[in-house]
Amino acid sequence: MFQPERMSRILVAGSKDQMDTIVRELYHQNAFHIEDFVEKEDEAYEGFRIGMPLAGASEASTELIKIRSMESMFGISPDTATTARTHSSPELRAGIDHKLAVLVRDVEESTAQRSKLEAQAKALEARATALEPFAAVPLDMDLYHGYEGITVFAGYVGSDVEIPVPHEKHYVPGGKGRQNFLVVFVPARDAEAANSALLEARFQAVPIPEGSGPVNDLIYDTRGKIAQINEQIAKIERNLEEKKSEYSELLVAYDEYFTAVVEQAEAPLRFATTEDAFVAEGWVPTERVEAIIAALTHATAGKVYVTRLDIGDDPKEVPVEYKNPNFSRPTELFMDIYSRPRYDEFDPTLLVSIVFPIFFGLILGDVGYGFVLLVASFALRKFLSGEAGNRLLDVLRNASIMSIIFGVLFSEFFGMGLPWESIIYTRHLNIGGHAVHHPMVAELLIVSVWIGLLHITLGRLIHVRNISRAMHKSHHATKEILAQLGWLSTMWGIVIVIWSMFAIPLMIDLTGFAPVAMGLNAASIVGVVLGLIGIVFIGMESPLELVEIPTIISHVLSYTRLVAVGLSSVAIAMVTNFIALDLIIGPQLESLSAVGVFIVLLGLVVLVIGHVLNTALGILGGGLHSIRLHYVEFFTKFYNGGGKKYNPFGMIRKFTED
Amino acid sequence: MADPVVAEMTLEMVQASQFGLKAVGAGLAVGLTGIGSGIAEMGIGAAAVGATAENKDMFGLALLFTVIPETIVIFGLVVALLALF
Repeated sequence: MFQPERMSRILVAGSKDQMDTIVRELYHQNAFHIEDFVEKEDEAYEGFRIGMPLAGASEASTELIKIRSMESMFGISPDTATTARTHSSPELRAGIDHKLAVLVRDVEESTAQRSKLEAQAKALEARATALEPFAAVPLDMDLYHGYEGITVFAGYVGSDVEIPVPHEKHYVPGGKGRQNFLVVFVPARDAEAANSALLEARFQAVPIPEGSGPVNDLIYDTRGKIAQINEQIAKIERNLEEKKSEYSELLVAYDEYFTAVVEQAEAPLRFATTEDAFVAEGWVPTERVEAIIAALTHATAGKVYVTRLDIGDDPKEVPVEYKNPNFSRPTELFMDIYSRPRYDEFDPTLLVSIVFPIFFGLILGDVGYGFVLLVASFALRKFLSGEAGNRLLDVLRNASIMSIIFGVLFSEFFGMGLPWESIIYTRHLNIGGHAVHHPMVAELLIVSVWIGLLHITLGRLIHVRNISRAMHKSHHATKEILAQLGWLSTMWGIVIVIWSMFAIPLMIDLTGFAPVAMGLNAASIVGVVLGLIGIVFIGMESPLELVEIPTIISHVLSYTRLVAVGLSSVAIAMVTNFIALDLIIGPQLESLSAVGVFIVLLGLVVLVIGHVLNTALGILGGGLHSIRLHYVEFFTKFYNGGGKKYNPFGMIRKFTED
Repeated sequence: MADPVVAEMTLEMVQASQFGLKAVGAGLAVGLTGIGSGIAEMGIGAAAVGATAENKDMFGLALLFTVIPETIVIFGLVVALLALF
């Protein structure tokens, strides 16, 4: 909690004949984050080379490619597939030669045959299309072929053509969607003259299909063949579909099995090896070190050397795994979007997971909208699969629950009041003249400023904690801590000066002190001094930072968005209600007529559209502004990020087991 | 001597026009700051989308940059609320 999982750097060394066993054991443990070995021209690295893959790597890759291509053909994916039972690895291994090989051969044959048939069907289809225009000409197909002294022209023309040489001509006028078709037989010696006459009429020749007998019979024949082939294709497809439902479980299991085999076989590519030995370096969670050493020793019967190394002082080297209570795990999504925490840094996930829903609730405090979002966060689970989607919906669920709680406190239901008065400061606006009193805007704004002051103070204090617990101790650590305290001192100094000049409700009133000089009283002097000390501390760390001093005020005031954005959402809801209920529906209900019913329905449409839009705006406003307050105003006070993701060597098995 | 009825009417009118000016001021505050944020976010947003397209990891940072000028319109909204109530 508040810091990432503790990691230890370990080194595993052994002789090459143990490599297979050790790799398998490490993979099984699924905890070893391998630090890739990079060859260097350095004496300390002399004799070390990047390792070669274990035996069987390329065969397994080939199998994997076959399986993946079958999966993509069947349209299945291991990410979305669900299976009733897991397959055991030995059973899968035993089945490679007969079960899998037969399946692969079967499917490959079927698909090859299918594409062959499809090509045939396409060729026949082309023949049928080519024959079609000849159907209207009263000649058998054999009459077009086999002449020595006669040339045949066939093709489309714009209009009928006069041929200036002896000829036999068949002109078929086109209809809708068909062009005029022309067949001309001329003596071979006159072919040129006929050709030029035809070209003038924009004649487009078509190839004359082979065949003999009546054209219509030929077309009928071809169509029959096409139907037969299509039937065969359908049969193959049914067959493949059957195979898919029968073997998809097995396929994803084999996918997982071979992925594991390939990953294990290729692991030595990340190790340092010599002629006879190998060395692997990496990270494991500290609490599992003992167990992993014991497991490796057991697996190799003691023929392995494992030792812990110093973790060094570069926090960016250490892989980072979150360590949070289950409640906060969905919020890790927001942390990863910004940047994963560094190893030695304060991990604010838990804080964000608590504060974010509260901010969201403050902005969208409405029982109606909260309930709609709560239902949506469960209903959308069907469509948003995958871990990130589920986490997002978990966050939405928490936020909408807070929204309902604040809705009860604010007494709001789709912009209307609930049967009780607002328990905390009311946000009901005077729209349509219903409200008895004005919204308590000033009080709400002041509360939001308080939230800002406390949130930012917390951020600065966390920065102090980060500096004092950094792995790499900076020479300027003291100065940096003083600078952070300086920022705090300046901020609270400004606040005290304001308190001493104006009496603000809900804040401390310091105007009562006797004036000392220049209209300042004792309290303001304290404030001014605090501010000046702060500025000196900030300037001591880096004079450039002094430019940032105005952000003290703008960042605190930025928290007023909690109220401002919330009020705008209340206003939209109330205006929608006023337009739809009071202006459109209300007057019609007093004396209902046929037209009136239509107008009432129209009013309902306006009501629904208005509230749907406002719900969407509510998610955007409530979500984006709340997360922005964290990213911009809170995180910039202490958070660096840039941690490396912990990616252990191994996999979480879904479909297979040892 | 002014007619007392007329004087009362005038006072109401003055109050109404005062409120009207407040409303105009509030509208200007939100509208102008909205335009300001929009202009500021225009360039940042375009660059942010480009950066995210190049490298998905930029998304968090890009979002952060894009919403920085949002504060301007929030201040406008706060000023408008303070003017109205």
